[in-house]
Amino acid sequence: MKRLFFILTVLGCALLVLQQRSYAEKVAHKDFYSMKFEDCNACHKGQGISPNHDADWVRGHRMAASRSNSKCQECHQQSWCLDCHQGGGSGERLEISNFGRDYKPKSHRSDFRVLHPLKAKDNPQSCLRCHDRKYCTECHARFPRREIQFESHRRQFSSIQLQATGPTHQVFNEAQCPTCHPGGLVPTHRWSGEHAREARRNLQACQTCHEDGDACMKCHSARSGLKVSPHPRNWGSIKDKLRSRSDGRSCIKCHNNF
Amino acid sequence: MGVKWFLRMLACIPLLAASTAWSAEVHGRSSTQFLWFTNVFTDKEQAELAQYLNLSISQVDQAGKLTLHGYGRISQNLGGGEGLNGRLYYLYADYRGLLDKVDLKLGRQFVNYAAGTALIDGGQIDLRKVGPVAFSVMGGRNVVFSLDGESTHEGDYAYGVAAYLDGVKDTDLELSWFRKTDEGDLARDVLGASFKQYLFNNFKLYANSRYDISSEVFNEVLAGVKYFPMGNLVLTGEWYQSYPTFDTTSIYSVFAVDRYQEAVFKADYIISSMIALNGGVSFQEYGEGADAKVYDIGTRITPLPQLSLALNYDRRHGYGGSLHGGIAEVSYDPTKALSLAGGVHYDVIKRDAMTGKDYARRYWLGGKYRLNERMTLALRVEDNVNLNYEEDWQGRMVFNYDF
Repeated sequence: MKRLFFILTVLGCALLVLQQRSYAEKVAHKDFYSMKFEDCNACHKGQGISPNHDADWVRGHRMAASRSNSKCQECHQQSWCLDCHQGGGSGERLEISNFGRDYKPKSHRSDFRVLHPLKAKDNPQSCLRCHDRKYCTECHARFPRREIQFESHRRQFSSIQLQATGPTHQVFNEAQCPTCHPGGLVPTHRWSGEHAREARRNLQACQTCHEDGDACMKCHSARSGLKVSPHPRNWGSIKDKLRSRSDGRSCIKCHNNF
Repeated sequence: MGVKWFLRMLACIPLLAASTAWSAEVHGRSSTQFLWFTNVFTDKEQAELAQYLNLSISQVDQAGKLTLHGYGRISQNLGGGEGLNGRLYYLYADYRGLLDKVDLKLGRQFVNYAAGTALIDGGQIDLRKVGPVAFSVMGGRNVVFSLDGESTHEGDYAYGVAAYLDGVKDTDLELSWFRKTDEGDLARDVLGASFKQYLFNNFKLYANSRYDISSEVFNEVLAGVKYFPMGNLVLTGEWYQSYPTFDTTSIYSVFAVDRYQEAVFKADYIISSMIALNGGVSFQEYGEGADAKVYDIGTRITPLPQLSLALNYDRRHGYGGSLHGGIAEVSYDPTKALSLAGGVHYDVIKRDAMTGKDYARRYWLGGKYRLNERMTLALRVEDNVNLNYEEDWQGRMVFNYDF
């Protein structure tokens, strides 16, 4: 870590020295506000600047915007950002749809509730650029659990009928399973393997339903259950930091002494 | 909370305008909207009346350095139920060029550093023109909108500092630090860096990273290159990786996670003023042998200045399931005052090997009529057809007044 910062500092200093020679005030874009993008790009190219606002702009704009000296504000008010990031809108752009009273960006096509389980997997961090994690839990908390279909969670026999005709297993709740199946829902080894992999790959998805991690603690608590440690490999070096910063709010959920 | 804030601030605005009436210029937009939709939580149809107000007051002081910006909405459910709702997106005073070196923003505002982004009730101060490096500091109450209001708690704050190159022609570099508290406890501590360099008139190199100090991992790292041999052709190659990190106050901050990586290649070619093409592929790796690929292609055709057609299609398959679909949209301006548009969204989704295929379709039509220089009327109607609804009509009617 120290080495990385040293390298970054040296690189930064070298850049400063080199660029001092070409120190120049950058062009203000306010005067070109009403210009067509084609004309912008013609000028950009002439000065060795890459064309922007291209077809990939929705995905790529954060690089240009996420700097404190970004040029966005020379043409756009903050409402331009917040209409997509926080659901506002004046309704003039006909292609933009609503989710209830909120406007939503064009990246959320069709009924996004149907698509979002897969779309959220394409770079899971992208959801969090607009949505706080509480947004996911608040929404998921209002839907029935049976609609969540992770492979590790699904009752794989739910579509099997009890007899040649009649109801499927889907009609039963968890409490009724041991009546006919004292062995449990799915083989234990399958559950533990599948859920661990899914959780490591996309832990954010777990949080969307199990906000407080109560389901996890049935097995991962140090107090009860299987007491399986869920901590990462670098736990030894980070545990004190996490404890002191959170004032032990996370630790106390599983440990008596920490 | 949001409604109260908005109404209080709204009440103050005429006072501000009145007190500075000798010179102030007030510009903005009032948007009155009637929306109807199915409430997904109650499965009942709902109608709401919403009023947006977006305004800027400039020339408040004689030097013209102070500007006030405000944007918010209130909405009323006409059938009762959720009642009055509101969001104050921002309301801040922006003072530029104090001593010719300092920019100040005070109030509710959106702040953006490489290390983090937040909507805050607070301030941001930028110190510029002190050499090739400029500095920025920001902080305030961290505002989080929930479905029906605000979910900010007492003790939720966000603050940070940044140093960045200012006025350097072909280079951008920012180093920043961002901290967030959750009910008084230190939830996030992030170092960020953002870098951009133009080279040889044809290349742009860029990188962005966020390092989570608490978890000691790079939450995000992005490195990319753009090659633009002509003004109408851009080729992009990117590598990105992330580790999900959580607030230290969340139990999930103590769990092991896998690294997500993706390599992205994109091409964007504007053949002529009538046709443009774009396409790309993304290779995604989720750890422990899980991966996926996403292909996308699109075009924009403008056979006449008043007629435009946009087509986009993408296909994903791999970990988690498959998804393919796209959008076809057309817009036509028969007169200068009238715009008409319509489109179809179509998607087929298969969650994984154990589920069947589902679909989602949307059909929409819209029109916009400019009544005069200041007033616009717009109507948009859509129908959603998917596994939840055989038909689900929703829409909005909008009257905008610019001042």
